[in-house]
Amino acid sequence: MPPRRDADFIVTDESDPEEDILDEDYVVSRAARARKGKGKEKELAGESRKAQEQAYAWEASYKRSWDTVQEDEAGSLQAAVQDLVARSKRRRLLGGNAPIRRTIIRHMMLLMDLSTAMLDRDMRPSRFDLTLSYAREFVSEWFDQNPLGQMGVVGMRNGVGERIGEISGNPQEVQKCFAEKAKLEPAGEPSLQNSIEMARASMSHLPTHSSREILIIFGSLTTVDPGNIHDTVDACVRDQIRISIVSLSAEMKICRDMCERTGGVFGVALNEGHYKDLLFELVPPPAEKSSVSRLAAQAAANESELMQMGFPTRLPITSPPSLCVCHSRLRSEGYICPRCNSKVCDVPTDCDICGLMIVSSPHLARSYHHLFPAPAYRAVTELDGSEAPTCHGCSLPFSTATRDRNVVSEEGMSPFGRYRCPKCKHDFDAECDLFVHDVLHVCPGCG
Amino acid sequence: MSLPAHISLILDLTPVPWAALSRASPPLALRSFLAQALVFLHAHLALRNENSVSVFGALPGRSVGLYPPVSRGSRDRGAEEGADENTFHVFQQVDEGLMRRVEEEVAGLEEVEEDAPPALVGALTKSLCYINRLANPPPPLNPTDAPPPAPHARIVLFSVSPDASVAYIPFMNCIFSAQKLKVPIDVCKIDDSEVIFLHQASDLTGGAFVHVDQREALLQYLSMCFLSETETRKTLAVPTQDKVDFRAACFCHKEIVDIGYVCSVCLSIFCKPVAQCSTCHTNFSPDTLVRFGGVGMNGHGASNGTTA
Ligand SMILES: [Zn+2]
Ligand SMILES: [Zn+2]
Ligand SMILES: [Zn+2]
Ligand SMILES: [Zn+2]
Ligand SMILES: [Zn+2]
Ligand SMILES: [Zn+2]
Repeated sequence: MPPRRDADFIVTDESDPEEDILDEDYVVSRAARARKGKGKEKELAGESRKAQEQAYAWEASYKRSWDTVQEDEAGSLQAAVQDLVARSKRRRLLGGNAPIRRTIIRHMMLLMDLSTAMLDRDMRPSRFDLTLSYAREFVSEWFDQNPLGQMGVVGMRNGVGERIGEISGNPQEVQKCFAEKAKLEPAGEPSLQNSIEMARASMSHLPTHSSREILIIFGSLTTVDPGNIHDTVDACVRDQIRISIVSLSAEMKICRDMCERTGGVFGVALNEGHYKDLLFELVPPPAEKSSVSRLAAQAAANESELMQMGFPTRLPITSPPSLCVCHSRLRSEGYICPRCNSKVCDVPTDCDICGLMIVSSPHLARSYHHLFPAPAYRAVTELDGSEAPTCHGCSLPFSTATRDRNVVSEEGMSPFGRYRCPKCKHDFDAECDLFVHDVLHVCPGCG
Repeated sequence: MSLPAHISLILDLTPVPWAALSRASPPLALRSFLAQALVFLHAHLALRNENSVSVFGALPGRSVGLYPPVSRGSRDRGAEEGADENTFHVFQQVDEGLMRRVEEEVAGLEEVEEDAPPALVGALTKSLCYINRLANPPPPLNPTDAPPPAPHARIVLFSVSPDASVAYIPFMNCIFSAQKLKVPIDVCKIDDSEVIFLHQASDLTGGAFVHVDQREALLQYLSMCFLSETETRKTLAVPTQDKVDFRAACFCHKEIVDIGYVCSVCLSIFCKPVAQCSTCHTNFSPDTLVRFGGVGMNGHGASNGTTA
């Protein structure tokens, strides 16, 4: 339905002057572009490479959901749709069986395309508006799952990178970047190189045990760069910066290369919902890369540290006012450093007196579910009559209706709506299965 | 109009502290406690017809759902037996259902060993699962019927045991889930033991925290502090604890620490410097150990050396 997906449309949309700016090496890697007559010898190479490479992101297994939906006897789609929803949720759960080593202290620079390409209305209400609202959601979810993380925001417009938000660990502060829409009005062309260099510079001082990530939301099909962008990518590889890109229009060769070389993820959004999915896949902490050479892994291990941290006591608003050591201001509230008993205004921070890192323990505890996930439940496919009549989580009775067996078995769904914990052997319904693994992260039977 | 309210009660039914409480002065026997809790639930149910309750019990080593009754059969039986025209039928259901279930469970306890800590996490998770189902009811069979509005839910937790024994990580996960569901956890502390994690639970979820100093006035505490619903609380001064202790439990001994050593990879907390993280198996550089006067390096044990 959206006309921008049409290859010919994109080509005609590209005006010739822009094309001259592009470096030949990272011309959009679509066969359609080569057909324009530019770079004849490149065309052959491009075609053969295409055969080896995996399918383009937008060609990948995207099943149209309306093809699989079937009406039930009463002619209603309700049951079919419910089933479909349950299936997609379940698929997501099965995929989430993660390795234990994850980077927990994360630093991310969010690079937002603010070029005129973002004014396109192929996503409703417009790419720009949608991006702003998704960015807000993304930030709050990201900080929820990465409480010790820090994020900064860079905008790409008029051929330069623009610092919109300093790198900060406070979600409210990052959210503020997207509050003033007028300040972010899209204009001109984006520059990947300038913006990546800017993001790289602001992450250069970071300690080695934290991750450095760049997330680019890219609507344009072009970039205006002052130099060779491959040098920039090399520098990112050297600095262990991981670049992930969510493209809103089409796949560009340089974008995919960039992500592959730095160990990031590349995706092209097909529609609004898919855009959100792509973005939110980047929320959970990335598993530590094992594909990198053993030497690098060893170096990383040497740099992982034991950090001394203090867990403070918070004073109530009703306590008598006293001076804080960070601003020398008279206040009632504050946190008491457990080592030197001085009072600081906010955590996490380093104590100004004794230098101890002060964090509140719930901050740390938020990320523990990544380390100790609840065991994945197995779908119950056979009943032997001794099963409990109710869900062990919500205590509601299981429905007695069974679904069509042969459809169900391939998807890891239970025909009885029962999912069993491998550890405590209790049965749960689909709703609780989802809740336990998505939100709670504790099995009610084992806990 | 405001939404109906749901209260999920979590009762710590560990026999040992209850036995101690019934001998303490002033005494508070489990039976008398239950009677007062029931009056509290009646008051809540009487506030509005759509209000509802659920009750979960934490027993040594396991948790049980006490109300609503598990199978439909038992509820019908309750309705048949009790044909008391003078009692509001919901009250009667709660009274009979709850008292019978508690008696069953407590009587069943005598055989098993009573030293295990109460399964507070199990009771909390069940309560949260139940509340989650209330918040996301199954879609109605007839799509034209609007689903009933999800009630404002809150959890009231009665504790009689120290919480240092609680599994730290699962308990914190429960707190964060309650936060996500916007469910405040009210804590009513009946005995005098220390409860750091329950402090954090009520603080992080915006619930009330009450330590019952005068046990003979329990019902007064309940109706003054816990009866007001979430909306009303915005205009009330709900009691909270004055100091919140943000200490954590170490992963190695489950002891509560104020200064801990944290693995930079997985954030596991240890009470002493260690050479290898027991969670993610990261080896720490020897320099770090020396810096903290690590164990096995120079034998000084845990250090508290200031770096300033
Ligand atoms: Zn201050
Ligand atoms: Zn200090
Ligand atoms: Zn359930
Ligand atoms: Zn289990
Ligand atoms: Zn320890
Ligand atoms: Zn670790």
